[in-house]
Amino acid sequence: MQVTEAADNIPPMIVVEALRKSIRTGTRTVEILKGIDFSIPRGEFAAIMGASGSGKSTLLGLLAGLDSPSEGNVLLNGTAISYLAEDKLAQVRGKTIGFVFQSYQLIPTLTALENVLLPYELNDESGNRKAGLDRARQLLVSVGLEDRLDHYPVQLSGGEQQRVALARAFILRPPIVLADEPTGNLDTTNGQAVLDLLLSLNHAEGTTLVLVTHDPALAAHATRVLTMRDGLLVGDVQQVPSAAHL
Amino acid sequence: MASLSYATASRIAARELKASRGKFVFVILSVAIGVAALTGVRGFSSSFRSMLLLRARSIMAADLSAKMTRRATPGEADGLHAITESGVKLTPVTELLSMASAAKSMDPLLVSLKAVDPEQYPFYGDVDLQPAVELKKALSGDSVAVGDDLLLRLNLHVGDQIKVGGKLFTIAAVVENEPDRLSGSFAAGPRVLMSQNALDTTGLLQPGSHAAQRLLFKLPAGTQGHPVSDEAVAGLKTQLEKLLPDAQISDYREANPALTKGLDGATGLLSLMSLVALVLGAVGVAMAMRAHLQQRLDSIAIMKSLGAGSTQVMKIYLLQTLLLGLAGGLLGVAMGIGVQLVLPLFLAKLLHITPAFRLDPRAYAIGLGAGLLTTLLFTLPPLLDIRGVRPILILRRAVEVSDDPFSTRMMRKLRGSGAQIGAIVLILGGLAFLAARVSDSRAVGGLFAAGLMVVLLVLLGMSALTLYLLRLFLSRTRLHLPSAVRHGLSNLYRPGNPSAALLAALGLGVMQIVTVYIAQRAVVQEMEISTAANLPNIFLIDIATNEVDGVRALLAHQPGVKGTPEIAPVVSSRLLAVDGVAAAQLKLQHMPRRALQSLNLTWPSTVDQPPEGDKVIRGAWWTAQQSADSAAHPLVAIERQEADRLGVKPGQKMTFSAQDSEFTATVVAIYEPDSRHALSRAEFVLPAPALAGLPVVWYGGVHCEPGTTATLQRALYQAFPTITVINVAATLEVVRQVILQITYVIQFLAGFSIFAGIVILASSIAGTRYRRIREVVVLKTLGATRPRIATIFSIEFAVLGLVAGFVGLIFANILARLLLLRVLHFDYRFQPWMDLGAWLATAALTVAAGWLASHRILGQKPLEVLREE
Repeated sequence: MQVTEAADNIPPMIVVEALRKSIRTGTRTVEILKGIDFSIPRGEFAAIMGASGSGKSTLLGLLAGLDSPSEGNVLLNGTAISYLAEDKLAQVRGKTIGFVFQSYQLIPTLTALENVLLPYELNDESGNRKAGLDRARQLLVSVGLEDRLDHYPVQLSGGEQQRVALARAFILRPPIVLADEPTGNLDTTNGQAVLDLLLSLNHAEGTTLVLVTHDPALAAHATRVLTMRDGLLVGDVQQVPSAAHL
Repeated sequence: MASLSYATASRIAARELKASRGKFVFVILSVAIGVAALTGVRGFSSSFRSMLLLRARSIMAADLSAKMTRRATPGEADGLHAITESGVKLTPVTELLSMASAAKSMDPLLVSLKAVDPEQYPFYGDVDLQPAVELKKALSGDSVAVGDDLLLRLNLHVGDQIKVGGKLFTIAAVVENEPDRLSGSFAAGPRVLMSQNALDTTGLLQPGSHAAQRLLFKLPAGTQGHPVSDEAVAGLKTQLEKLLPDAQISDYREANPALTKGLDGATGLLSLMSLVALVLGAVGVAMAMRAHLQQRLDSIAIMKSLGAGSTQVMKIYLLQTLLLGLAGGLLGVAMGIGVQLVLPLFLAKLLHITPAFRLDPRAYAIGLGAGLLTTLLFTLPPLLDIRGVRPILILRRAVEVSDDPFSTRMMRKLRGSGAQIGAIVLILGGLAFLAARVSDSRAVGGLFAAGLMVVLLVLLGMSALTLYLLRLFLSRTRLHLPSAVRHGLSNLYRPGNPSAALLAALGLGVMQIVTVYIAQRAVVQEMEISTAANLPNIFLIDIATNEVDGVRALLAHQPGVKGTPEIAPVVSSRLLAVDGVAAAQLKLQHMPRRALQSLNLTWPSTVDQPPEGDKVIRGAWWTAQQSADSAAHPLVAIERQEADRLGVKPGQKMTFSAQDSEFTATVVAIYEPDSRHALSRAEFVLPAPALAGLPVVWYGGVHCEPGTTATLQRALYQAFPTITVINVAATLEVVRQVILQITYVIQFLAGFSIFAGIVILASSIAGTRYRRIREVVVLKTLGATRPRIATIFSIEFAVLGLVAGFVGLIFANILARLLLLRVLHFDYRFQPWMDLGAWLATAALTVAAGWLASHRILGQKPLEVLREE
């Protein structure tokens, strides 16, 4: 594996400045992130690695504006999101970020097609519902679920659910996709299939992809690996990703 | 198999309770409010009721009275003596017509004489005298109290003397009000009130005299200050009916039918409210515990994967349930005592009455027991569900769904739910037991328990059907619906969401609340009519036919007179025979035979209709043609109670004698009188032509503002000196006040029950909020704003409210109709606007309650929840 120092010659899509996060548990305060700075350029595929408890999921959550930092700031596509009002933040999130969770997080009462369509319905301002439906169908076809459009999440396998979640993450063509252990709940075959789909969609849509994992094999597909330990960023390396996904 | 010790089970149960205090606040509150309403409403209503009953008794001045037209035989006197030996108090009241005159002028005047024993009389209520002296003092020695009309007519003053019989008496005071004025006889002539000893000295009570005697009875007070029970009164009544077959025995409840009906209605309603509170509390607990156990599925699965059996796990949650039931029950009893303490403070200001507060340990024990029992019973089904939790849940959270048809799934569910069905049977049995314990009215309790059984099953069925139909609609229209509506509707089918159960619970709640509302409105409305401002409170006796127009004219111009005076004719007659059987041979029920010598006949002002307010209950009223022919073929309609006493039915023939003429009339109708009208004082109604030519006196009734009655009386005495004016304004005012108090209290307690119901329903909805948290954060992650999420959930809540409201309202109307018509005997009216209002209010309240309980989850930070994955 060829490793290079991180380059900073393209305008960044994500900027993280002096980010700190601490939470109070009963009488004591636990510092989860202890001051983190980095930026991710447009189109980059960055993997955040670290052991359990290193703070990587918290960092991802803060990148997505799912929680607010104790200190510091996160800028997405030039917009500082950390201290936005909640509803404004939701709008930014909806339009800027596609999210893929380890445990899929599909809405159980909606069909596969409706789950994929949901971000479109929540955020689209064009009023062109047909375009959204066409795009949702096309995405589901592209992840191999053309015969599962009207199935509910409980009627789908784990791999299928995660493929629905992938399609959902890409429906609005977000500039950023954040994925938290997207293959963590899947067996090797399904995990590989989901990863392949994620990478091909990312490639096709030209999104910036940030993936949290503790699996080095998964991180090997990234062009940059950020390593965390005890709430600190301890490694930041550029790499040539595995050949299969170049 | 080793068993989990109670100590360990209790420790786990207590830790879980401690860990989710916030969540259990709702469970405890549900139980507490149910128990509080039960103990508070019951406790308060029981002390209020005993106070009202005391006032109702004052209208008769006794618990019971026996009207006799002769002195008691020696055998009867022995029986009465035995009764008084058992602790019952007895005092006689003698009433007769006599002549009186002023000591100086000797002008004779017919007076209505009443003799009492002032040491005993009245048992309840007070005789108001002017100047205000004690009755004992006023009637001591040779002094009497008289009506102010006597002073006016004889031109006398307090302190002057009158001659009654052969004896002179000093007028000690003016009688302003006698508590039992409505129960005594309405004889012509001013009142002269004297002691029994004084009457004996007049020499008026000769053998064969027409004195009427009323024996007043008072039962010994119950233990611990409890009022005399209705059972004890009924017992004495039966005893007296056997002992005095000729006497007309009535208890205090019969003294004023409107008041009695109001009291009975209030009793039934209050029982209903207690039961409603109980079941609503139980529903709240069941919903909250169900939600709690859903939350604990992971823990249960972990325990099972570590080798715990279902029984062991159930032990933990059973203990938890008991702890919650106990905590809620204790809090509820404390709140119930609070209600009992606070309500009288409001009522004291509003109504000027203060029911005594009594600590009633039995009522609290029932409340606590009911809280524990209902909590346990209603938690059984979710507890039994623990058996179905599989350890694999800790690895895989998926909920299995089946593509089988609805009927197959239902059948499979029924086959696998033996224990649940058993639990439901147990719940209903338990409720029936509680209903019987709690309800003062067994009829209400029985109807309630039976009704609940049917209604619960039908509600569950209807809810499931509605959800099925809605789902069918959703699958057909899915992508054509606006996304918020589609999403809101889809949420009803959230896996593990107890939509059918929640709908049934809400429907049940709506049904009960609306039933209480409809029933209380019906009772209150009817009572308001009976306290209407223009009911007659001044009665005019012995108006001659040539005076009728003059009286009408005077009343029309008299200040303070309200409404149109009612003046009705009365023909005095005797009953000679029924169907050819001579009066002397007739079998009479509690009616002195001598009463057959003076029956009052009247004719209505309408040709072919009963007098206003009277209802025909058997037979049919005559037509205009029959009325026209009645001179040749007389017809008669009889008041129900009189018909019962005489034992006559439609079709029978009665022979009357009035003055010198004799005629036979066919009984065509039995009617229930409207006791509020003067006309009802005549028990036999005939068409006018049948009574033509017979001597008539007229009786009148008019409403006069209480402050102006004296002026009216004086004007009438001056213009028509022979007409007797009886003023019952003061007594009727007591009745009116009591009825108003009943209506206020009913409304107050109904309001409290309804409020408790709403709080409990809100907490049932609140129980589902934990299921929404994950959904909220996913939606937020996908870019949904709070208003958007609020819209989706509002649609879900509104649909729940609309469906539950619809089903609940249908049943509320059915139940209220049954209850009002069959049990409480009040009118039921379908009120579409009220129903529409209640329907929309249910939806609005469901949305509001849902948000009250769920608004905080909108502020949930997504990461806090997602991190738990």
